Amino acid sequence: MSDFRAGRLDAVRAKVAALEAGGRGDCGSLPFGDARIDARLPGGGLPLGRWHEVTGEGMEAETAAAPAAFAALLAAPLVRRGWAVWVLRRDDLHAPGLEGLGFPPERLIQVCARDDAEALGVMEDALASTGVAVVLGEVGAVDLTAGRRLQLACEKAAATGLVIRRNPFGAGSGGKAHGSAAVARWRVAAAPSAPEANLYGEVVGLGAPRWRVELEYCRGGRPGAWLFERRPFEEDIDGTHPLRLVAELGDRQLAPPQPVRAAG
Amino acid sequence: METARGVRRLAAVDEAARALGLFAGQKAADAAALVPELDSAEAEPAADLAALEALADWCVRFSPAVAPDAPDGLLLDVEGVSHLWGGEGALMADFRHRLGQGGIGVRLALADTPGAAWALAHHGVDGTIAAVGEQAPLLAPLPPAALRLEPQAAAQIERLGLKRLGQLMKIPRAPLGRRFGAATLMRLDQALGRAREALAFRRPATPWFARLAFAEPISAPEDMGRVSRDILEALCARLDDAGQGARRFEMAFHRVDGQAPSLSVGLAFPGRDARRLARLFAPKLETVDPGFGIEVVTLSALDVEPLAGRQTSLRQSPSRSSSSGLSRGSMHTGDAEGTSALLRFPGASVFMDPRDKPEDDGRKDEVFQWDLIDEAELAPLVDRLANRLGEERVWKSAAFESHVPELASIRAPPLAGAPHGGWDPDLPRPLRLFRRPEAIEVTAPVPDDPPIQFRWRGRVHRVSRSEGPERIAEEWWKAALSAASPAHVRDYYRVEDQEGGRFWVFRAGLYEAGQPARWWLHGLFG
Repeated sequence: MSDFRAGRLDAVRAKVAALEAGGRGDCGSLPFGDARIDARLPGGGLPLGRWHEVTGEGMEAETAAAPAAFAALLAAPLVRRGWAVWVLRRDDLHAPGLEGLGFPPERLIQVCARDDAEALGVMEDALASTGVAVVLGEVGAVDLTAGRRLQLACEKAAATGLVIRRNPFGAGSGGKAHGSAAVARWRVAAAPSAPEANLYGEVVGLGAPRWRVELEYCRGGRPGAWLFERRPFEEDIDGTHPLRLVAELGDRQLAPPQPVRAAG
Repeated sequence: METARGVRRLAAVDEAARALGLFAGQKAADAAALVPELDSAEAEPAADLAALEALADWCVRFSPAVAPDAPDGLLLDVEGVSHLWGGEGALMADFRHRLGQGGIGVRLALADTPGAAWALAHHGVDGTIAAVGEQAPLLAPLPPAALRLEPQAAAQIERLGLKRLGQLMKIPRAPLGRRFGAATLMRLDQALGRAREALAFRRPATPWFARLAFAEPISAPEDMGRVSRDILEALCARLDDAGQGARRFEMAFHRVDGQAPSLSVGLAFPGRDARRLARLFAPKLETVDPGFGIEVVTLSALDVEPLAGRQTSLRQSPSRSSSSGLSRGSMHTGDAEGTSALLRFPGASVFMDPRDKPEDDGRKDEVFQWDLIDEAELAPLVDRLANRLGEERVWKSAAFESHVPELASIRAPPLAGAPHGGWDPDLPRPLRLFRRPEAIEVTAPVPDDPPIQFRWRGRVHRVSRSEGPERIAEEWWKAALSAASPAHVRDYYRVEDQEGGRFWVFRAGLYEAGQPARWWLHGLFG
């Protein structure tokens, strides 16, 4: 491709991005620090000033432990820029556990909402407030209107939203949302940890937590699947992302195994 | 009618009974002998006190400082509020008129001290207004009982021939105190303003009080919204002038029928932004039943503290430069259409002025400068949420000195600056902690080993890795020593199943032969 052509293409891309953002510049992105994922994301990192959807499968639709842990680590670098608000439906978030993951609970305001509508309202209010950098919300489902409202709220104060799909009381099915207004949808599941052998060559206990993360959908990006690990705390000092990419997974690896039935 | 020391006596009598010669304190049998058709009812001191307190609440429309004086008196501090009625006489006339409308007969007096006012109301001429510093001549002709003494003490003074307070005032202090006791001297000093007297006001007296009265009672919701804004602006302007802010605002709506429903709004930080406060009050106004109309609205600011640093919005003049789009940096400039920009610098918190930026304007400028994260700038959000959802639904987690997992994290006010941290980083704690641990069926090779397989919520999890145990004992020092037992322990294990799910399980109690171990799942690590 000639330079001229590349330049034109870049100009058109910028124009499309500007149109998509409703006339305002994008709010930047937060790179993971690994090209294997950053190359697939628009702007070379986690898009900020938008809202993301984080979901789990099976029991996680009710407990949302792995999605919450992953979302907390996505949000952890943003907390340096402002406050975090976590909107809950069920008050079972344990602050010592958050601190254990490396998310500072002293910068977190927790809000317990009575139902999904109230949780979304609180998220919207928090996203549009100055001083709030990231809002995490545990919500059963976000319809198109609510999603659009969340997006407008994100744009007001350049805050990032993370919607953790969860039905905390087991009601309803956490089915896939069709035509969501989220900028990206992440599907998170816990993965077996890989503890290192100690001096005697024995493997004892659990390693750093790992997650299988599938980017199902991303506006302006390409889907993919990766294995993430909580980076050792010793490496946190120099401002690295707390999530370390361990491996890139094949796209099909996370698809639920289809029962094969022989014809006839 | 009441029973005192086994004798039925009349507790109170009405005008008609008094005309027949009955009096309070008379034995019931004597009264019945005098007036056989006497209609009597049992005395209810608790209900009387409640009614007096309700009346005291109602009197807040006249003064923010009202002290109920059981059993049948009210003390109002009208210093600095009488001009609202155009003088003390007009205030008293209005007070008497309104109480009379409610069917309450009163004796009123106004003086420099509570003691003098009490004496004049109970024993002087009804409606006396003592000029400043002039109560001694007015008190002189009153009997000693006007000093609020014990009946025996007052009777003794009278027995000695001192029938008037004027005689008492002439006696030198030292012999007076020696002869009649310090209490008499103190009461006399209090009445004459020589000693201070503490009154238990029904509400904390706050000088931060505003009142709006209307010529016609109002009841329309939009009117109520407007008057709440007006009264907030009036009080906030005064707070602003004095450099003060308040953490709690109470608005009372005085209805024509004498009831006064009130609303209150709490703030995380002292504030005096009338618009913000009006927005916090607005959703609550619906809950006020205006009845037949509201004639007076009062507002008092509580927990008033000095508030340094004005909350101002700094606006840049509209830029007509040709730069389109947004530029980012330490300063954020507006776009070509000239919407206002928001500057932010350390030490000042900046709030947008809603007049310039309607709520539904999707094209608001955003803020990019993150250098300073001020707790105060979060206060509007916290206040909105706490007032909408309830204060108990918005919190920040704080550490509590306890090794019991469910007690180690407590809810602290979001912006109270509570000490944070303090959890041991070496102890693994789950991200989700269940309020009640859930029972699981466990297969363990030996009772003291971590499980190799467990069933939770109908699903079997095969454990591939485990860590532990961490033994956590009960807080035996909190309960009776007899209830404590070394068997009240939990052995916590962190286990990982084959799919990578990480769980926090524990075995309750010590191993006992023949007793199956009980296992519980307490949290998820995620």
